[in-house]
Amino acid sequence: MVVPALLESLRVWLPELVLSLGAMAAMLAAPTAVGAAAGRRAALATWAALLLAADALWQVQGLPSGAYFSGLITVDALGHLFRWLALGVIALVVLMVVSSSDVSRGWVGEYLGLLLCVGVGLMAMAQANHLLMAYLSIELVSLSSYALVALVRDARSSEAALKYLLFGALASGVMLFGMSLLYGMTGELSLPGLQGALRTLDASSAGALALALTLILAGLAFKISMVPFHMWTPDVYEGAPVPVAAMLSVGPKAAGLALLLRFAQALSPAWEALGPMLAVLTVLTMTLGNVVAVVQQNVKRLLAYSTIGQVGYLLIGLSVRTTVGLEAIFVYLVAYLFMNLGAFACVTAVCNESRDESLDAFRGLSRRAPALAALLTVFLLSLAGIPPLLGFLGKFLLFGSAIEASRVWLAVAGVVNSAIALYYYVNIIRQMYLLAPERAGVLQAAWPLRLAVGVCGLATVGLGLFPGSLLEWLRAVAAATRL
Amino acid sequence: MVLSSLLLVPLLGILAILAAPRHAERLIQRLATLATALTLGLSLGLLAKFDPQLASLQFVERLSWIPPLGVFYHLGVDGLSLPMVVLTTLLSFLACLASWGIPERKKEYFILYLLLELGMVGTFLALDLFLFYVFWEVVLVPMYFLIGIWGGGRREYSAFKFFVYTLAGSLAMLLGILALYVQTHTFDMIQLAAAGPALDPGLQKLLFFAFFLGFAIKVPVFPFHTWLPDAHVDAPTPISVLLAGVLLKMGGYGFFRISYPLFPEGAQWFAGCLATLGMINIVYGAFVAMAQTDFKKLVAYSSVSHMGFVLLGLASLTPEGMNGAMLQMFNHGIITGGMFLLVGVLYDRAHTRELSAFGGLGARVPVYAGLLTFFSLASLGLPGLSGFVSEFLSLIGTFGVWRWQTVVSVLGIVVSAAYMLTVLQRVLLGPLNDKWTQLSDANLRELVTLVPLLLIILGVGLWPLSVLQWQDPSLRALIQHVLAPR
Repeated sequence: MVVPALLESLRVWLPELVLSLGAMAAMLAAPTAVGAAAGRRAALATWAALLLAADALWQVQGLPSGAYFSGLITVDALGHLFRWLALGVIALVVLMVVSSSDVSRGWVGEYLGLLLCVGVGLMAMAQANHLLMAYLSIELVSLSSYALVALVRDARSSEAALKYLLFGALASGVMLFGMSLLYGMTGELSLPGLQGALRTLDASSAGALALALTLILAGLAFKISMVPFHMWTPDVYEGAPVPVAAMLSVGPKAAGLALLLRFAQALSPAWEALGPMLAVLTVLTMTLGNVVAVVQQNVKRLLAYSTIGQVGYLLIGLSVRTTVGLEAIFVYLVAYLFMNLGAFACVTAVCNESRDESLDAFRGLSRRAPALAALLTVFLLSLAGIPPLLGFLGKFLLFGSAIEASRVWLAVAGVVNSAIALYYYVNIIRQMYLLAPERAGVLQAAWPLRLAVGVCGLATVGLGLFPGSLLEWLRAVAAATRL
Repeated sequence: MVLSSLLLVPLLGILAILAAPRHAERLIQRLATLATALTLGLSLGLLAKFDPQLASLQFVERLSWIPPLGVFYHLGVDGLSLPMVVLTTLLSFLACLASWGIPERKKEYFILYLLLELGMVGTFLALDLFLFYVFWEVVLVPMYFLIGIWGGGRREYSAFKFFVYTLAGSLAMLLGILALYVQTHTFDMIQLAAAGPALDPGLQKLLFFAFFLGFAIKVPVFPFHTWLPDAHVDAPTPISVLLAGVLLKMGGYGFFRISYPLFPEGAQWFAGCLATLGMINIVYGAFVAMAQTDFKKLVAYSSVSHMGFVLLGLASLTPEGMNGAMLQMFNHGIITGGMFLLVGVLYDRAHTRELSAFGGLGARVPVYAGLLTFFSLASLGLPGLSGFVSEFLSLIGTFGVWRWQTVVSVLGIVVSAAYMLTVLQRVLLGPLNDKWTQLSDANLRELVTLVPLLLIILGVGLWPLSVLQWQDPSLRALIQHVLAPR
């Protein structure tokens, strides 16, 4: 009985297996050659792994939902959606890594290998059905991310990595403590088991339960940069290479939200007690992110605070806990994936050429690279929520879900924040179009970057104009997800 | 398909210009002019085929756009939107001719210009609230660039102020749209007009107020008007024409198309406020205009004053007042569009707009002087010209309903006569400043842009029914709908 079940589980996890093998191949391929050839071989292995994983993910789509690996992971529509998101993030970031000048050429193999490891971790996070699995997958993502941040090996990057590591270790410890409390109270580690055991828990342990849930929330809040656990974000983004910051701004946020959804579902009756606190933190997160972003001069710090603000919008969907809210989160995550990574890809192109991360580097970009400037404008306007771009649709649904759940004040907070956010997004547009360029010459981005920007631009505009089928798919996923 | 073609032509124009090489400036401006001319032709064709007897929507197109949300690509025109569509396409064409003088980055300019036209026309055609919001917002982005890149003075500041102000208003409207959708689960304005009046009166008032914020900033209603002088003054001439001529009307049109039909309880509840705000707009705008020394700023503030008559007429809920309000939107677009063109003609030559710098131009540039006199008289409401008709209708319609507001508003007309005549005196009369002895008169291109406006002003002034007949049945139906007992 054990062997067929294991084989069946491995079949479900074929995409993760392929990515893991790809990670090893990428790291091993690099030393077999010298110079640029090493990077090419690693990139080849990475692309092979990504394409095979995408194919495998497509194949396993039809497999029955349920628990696999003795209940460690669960296969369902929600997990499937987030696996695709994770794969999309990694693929786009790989395009940026191979053409970023922040990434030293000698380390491309390691970067790509670690990125694939992050991919495996993100996918596992989204499918975790067991506290141990949740913890392990978070650690896989975290440890790979620490290494990715530290690989540049200059003072700023080392500082960022150390900060990230210390904060991250603390958050992991806190979360682990919360999990151990849960285990102590119930003797259960699997999420369905916990759900059953918590129902029979007597009232005397309500305090301990609330503490455990708060601690778990704190650990995940760190991953998704939720206030008050956001402090690491700007420093780490500033120190990390642009593509790594791009990955951090989307991948762990999406997977962290997926895990939060799973916890909220499994720990359901007790989780409701966190509702008011979560709603307040939602508003604080978006407000802090957007207000502080206004005064940033470094584009990576600006995008870091913008990420915090965007996470705040996403948390609206989590706070309202309705099917509509769930659908809104999914739509916004898809939008966020494309618009944010698109913006980061444009930033990579500009920073590559100017070696300057201040907003001044964008001056007059519309004259030096008209297409790039136009697309960055599209991404920024989408982030600001201007129709008919995809970001608008996501925001529309998120605010709508708040009103539907009679939490009008969450929608009002979101709207006020959107107006604040316009300031710093338009400020970049102003630099590109209204000011004269500081340097001469045409800016030509490398082809992988142009590909990444093109794909993101096409998705942001195309899916914004014709979101019908995307919405139908995501609505089905939301309907299939129990709250 | 005739309404879609109004949107398709500017879109094709954009694609054609995108494909044109950057340095082929003459080709680009010809393409843009061709696109705007075609759109104008199509809208005039629409006018010919439109049946003015019907109060209902005509040429309706309805396609499913986002099925999961119930969003439709739903277009149609009636007496409320048709004058606005014609106004938009006409001013877009004339301002496109006036745009030939734009000195740099013509490719980007005309792409954004056509995108602006697309958004404006779409706003007046949309019958789906979601689609309406999309077009409404699409207007903002090109306008930001058009002011920010090609404007003068503090153009960055003005462009940004315009963007933030109107976006803040739009976001209030967005909340209203969402709340309405949660209640009714439709974006269809026709269905909403049937369902909206049945909503709880308290909710109607709240929703009316949310939409009011969005529209009031656009009109602009005092005290939300402070973006207007900055944006109008710093925008390049053709864009000022469209700002004053069309963008302000989007706000007024919103009341007719959305606020009044959807929330009749809210409309009646707010009418007193609206009349008072209209009065403040008229009088305050006129006094501030009188204090201006910059010609363009003076015209900008006169817009605040003139748009007050739209609010006043709206508040009356009488056929005369509503007809006056609607006609005032059309007339103001034509007259003030012409005034901004005239300011631009002078500024192109003299590079100053300070009224005190001029004097005695009447003898030096007689054609220009004639035109300026004509448009100024139209603006101050001389009987026989179009502005008089709409302001008069708006006042008599409101007099029986909001008496003292109407009485105070009449004061605004006196003040507007004072500042307009002062302009004529300072620019055209008195001794000629030596600096302007070489000033040339209006050229052919400028005449081509101004003379059609002049003819329309005269035509509507002498035979107001020419425009009123289009809008009257729809307006009467609207009033009946709003006042229907429940």
